[in-house]
Amino acid sequence: MDELWYKDAVFYELHVKAFSDSSGDGTGDFRGLLARLDHLQELGVDCLWILPMYPSPFRDDGYDIADYRSVHPDYGTLQDFEEFLRAAHARGMRVITELVVNHTSDRHPWFQESRSSPDSPRRDWYVWSETDDRYRGVRVIFCDTERSNWAWDPDSKAHYWHRFFSHQPDLNYDNPAVREEMWQVMRFWLDLGVDGFRVDAVPYLIEREGTGCENLPETHDVLKFFRRRLDESYPGRMLLAEANMWPEDVRPYFGEGDEFHMAFHFPIMPRMFMAIRLEDRKPLVEIIERTPAIPASCQWGLFLRNHDELTLEMVTDEERDYMYEEYARDQVARINLGIRRRLAPLLEGDRRRIELMNGLLMSLPGSPILYYGDEIGMGDNVYLGDRNGVRTPMQWSGGWNAGFSTADPERLYSPLISNPVYGYQAVNVESQRRNDSSLFNWMRRIIRVRKSTRVFSRGGIEFLKPANHRVLAYVRALGSEKVLVVNNLAGTSQAVELDLRGLAGAIPIEMFGGSLFPRIGEAPYVLTLGPYDFFWFKLRWL
Amino acid sequence: MPSIVSDDLLRHLMAVGQVDVLVGVPTLNNADTVGTVVKAVHRAFVSHLKRERTLLLNLDQGSEDGTPAIVREASLVDSETVITSQTLRTVHRISVPYHGVPGKGGALRILFTAAELVQARAVALLDATVTSVTPGWPERLVRPVLRGEADFVAPLFDRHGLEAPLLTQLVRPLMRAAYGRRLAEPVASEFGCSGAFATHCLGQEVWDAPLAQFGIDIWLTASVLAGGFRAGEVRLGSRLQAAPPSRPSLPEVLRQVVGSLMQCLDLHATSWLGRVGSEPLPRFGGEPEAGPQAEPPAIDPAPLAEAFRVGARDLAPVLERILPPETAAEVRGMAEADGLPRYPDELWASTIVDFAGAHHHGVMHRDHLLAALVPLYLGRVASFAAENEGSPAPAIQERVEAIGQAFEAAKPRLAEAWKSERGGEAWPN
Repeated sequence: MDELWYKDAVFYELHVKAFSDSSGDGTGDFRGLLARLDHLQELGVDCLWILPMYPSPFRDDGYDIADYRSVHPDYGTLQDFEEFLRAAHARGMRVITELVVNHTSDRHPWFQESRSSPDSPRRDWYVWSETDDRYRGVRVIFCDTERSNWAWDPDSKAHYWHRFFSHQPDLNYDNPAVREEMWQVMRFWLDLGVDGFRVDAVPYLIEREGTGCENLPETHDVLKFFRRRLDESYPGRMLLAEANMWPEDVRPYFGEGDEFHMAFHFPIMPRMFMAIRLEDRKPLVEIIERTPAIPASCQWGLFLRNHDELTLEMVTDEERDYMYEEYARDQVARINLGIRRRLAPLLEGDRRRIELMNGLLMSLPGSPILYYGDEIGMGDNVYLGDRNGVRTPMQWSGGWNAGFSTADPERLYSPLISNPVYGYQAVNVESQRRNDSSLFNWMRRIIRVRKSTRVFSRGGIEFLKPANHRVLAYVRALGSEKVLVVNNLAGTSQAVELDLRGLAGAIPIEMFGGSLFPRIGEAPYVLTLGPYDFFWFKLRWL
Repeated sequence: MPSIVSDDLLRHLMAVGQVDVLVGVPTLNNADTVGTVVKAVHRAFVSHLKRERTLLLNLDQGSEDGTPAIVREASLVDSETVITSQTLRTVHRISVPYHGVPGKGGALRILFTAAELVQARAVALLDATVTSVTPGWPERLVRPVLRGEADFVAPLFDRHGLEAPLLTQLVRPLMRAAYGRRLAEPVASEFGCSGAFATHCLGQEVWDAPLAQFGIDIWLTASVLAGGFRAGEVRLGSRLQAAPPSRPSLPEVLRQVVGSLMQCLDLHATSWLGRVGSEPLPRFGGEPEAGPQAEPPAIDPAPLAEAFRVGARDLAPVLERILPPETAAEVRGMAEADGLPRYPDELWASTIVDFAGAHHHGVMHRDHLLAALVPLYLGRVASFAAENEGSPAPAIQERVEAIGQAFEAAKPRLAEAWKSERGGEAWPN
């Protein structure tokens, strides 16, 4: 077994509730998901990332966990989960699950016990204070809804600390018992066969006075503790960090290869959108060149869209203003510091831009993470509140409830997307499977091409900087294997002269169609690209 | 047919692609001042025009003092690196030599051609010798164009009423009277215009003529006023300029500036002949950034008056061929009077209108005609300076305004001169 499998994997993020409903109750479940695994296998997915599936009051879409050792009854039973897991493994797919370690739901028995009395044995499992003066100046993350990181608990007449919603009290990781218990939670799922965890909100585990209570050394101690235990007992499993930070601030979460195996690269994502709107490679080149090296066993996780808003925390004020103006002129599309839209509507349904963005995702350093439905260009509904507009039922067909559920439409956990452009009658898996030129089939092809070489997943990157700034060109290299990637970020045709003297003698072979291009020589290599075109050339010295 | 754009420039422009704003800075041995201008443009791009796709184009006529190198490096000092890194887009700057028709017209032609190639929405031109340029200048010159409010934007400088007498005493009032629009700076080296206007200009048959070499500024503004383009003004503050290593003589300046203006009157006669009165141009934008204030010029009227007396006496036969008898007599009378000349606005306006008519009809070689204007111009400057010595600046500005009104009053005389059948004949002695 290759313990570094996550470096080559194509990930796919999904909600159980949104994927497929087998029971006809209007909510997706594990049996439904199992029945749809063929679709994911056909797409070329290597690893599924299952969003929170635990019992929860669902005040934050499952990120408010009320029981860590079970499955929400709406999604089925633990046995259903195990069957799904076995079926995924049988198809060569791995599964990682969401693990919210920073906080629990306020309905979790741990918190109920903790708040019941200052003398409770679990009192010290959460962060309590008689005043709300501690940790002053720490930023409020959900600034649209929360005014403070402290909330008053009238039962125990004390304040409790929460970095997210007030119904999500933070666990106290200064308490060794909490660490041990959370490891036991991880063991529970690892023993069932889970291949790893996407660990939510990792920078916030520890609080210290006089700091921003983020990225503290003690937090890293907690994470190293988990990783050490994982490596000791479960080799080949992985941890993926969610730390919405600048790359240099995320870098410590890899440690020396002894913390997380993977971490999301958040700042790249908005800059991909900026680059194609500005028609300028500057934002992307800058952020990638600013990204520090990571240990050889580690990997960045890249994504275009996910279940949250298109976060604009890791951009400058000017960049945020620009993104809002270009991608979310309608105020209702904005939430927190981001934009609650899916990929296709953000790109105005422009197939060329969708392909280019996926081309970037698949060819920049890191493992690509697809969001369910984006492989067919699903739309969204910004009027559903919070971020529910990007969490609507998967569109399997043009039939009843988009093939998602046999329930009465009124009973669905969320309305379907039904507008003429992105509605399920127009955008669905069934029709796209039948159409060779559909986005779904194109996605299959690009994933296949990406996986035809390890250059993309494990190779280094060197930017070429041609005079034409609308063209983003780079060479990915792994040993003697080299791939030249040339992207036209503009909506107009572009000519570019590339200085490829360092690659002289190579024959470029276009990787999608196998076409041969003229041998590279000492002279500038001229390419012309149509609007939003991109080339991947395997370079062969033959 | 040789191309206006060199292959080198074309390659640069291809790399840049479409832009929203193109700022041109022609240079020739401006090493002492060009850095200030380029930095101002660069700061304008990153702070005032950060959403726009921008390009600075330096066209160098063959500097031997390192000017192009300064242009290329001016924005890369450490203090600006941070600013550069905060820009959304790549900041483009091109510095290329050009070897076309010498003079500003050649540079402007390349600038307009580049504007068409990169499909610039707005173009601005700046003068590499101006030391008071601020980052607000490029932005103010192009913003009305980007907003679709103007095809041409002229600067409005804070000038003392005794400053730039050729402008205030002759060019400005004559253009106001002829074209019926009150443009404060018709010969400015700075302007903003739309890409469409630049393309329009490129299509005119002026670029290979002497007018392009010596009077492109005035031709440009006259074309705007004659062609009915939407024009406006923006306040830029003070305009301070480095002293050039050498200045052309006054007769040469008059030949170039006044001669160009009179050629333009010929070119645009069908447009202006029927216009009556004048209208101000719309003003765009707010107040300018506080800049260094221009000092009132020190003018000694005595030597100017003496030059007037000598010139009017020596050139009397020539002047009598240009001016109608009554005007010639009044001028002669002024020249023969004791003390500083007293050259009234109305007589000055009549004088210039008559010179324009004579220039139009070609009563003599036009260079000689313009040379004969020199002493009269000096007499008028001496008169105006003496009359306003010690006056407060607002009072002088009112007097400057009165000149325009006097020229407007003389408009029928100007139109009559054009319509008359005088042909190439001089006035009878």
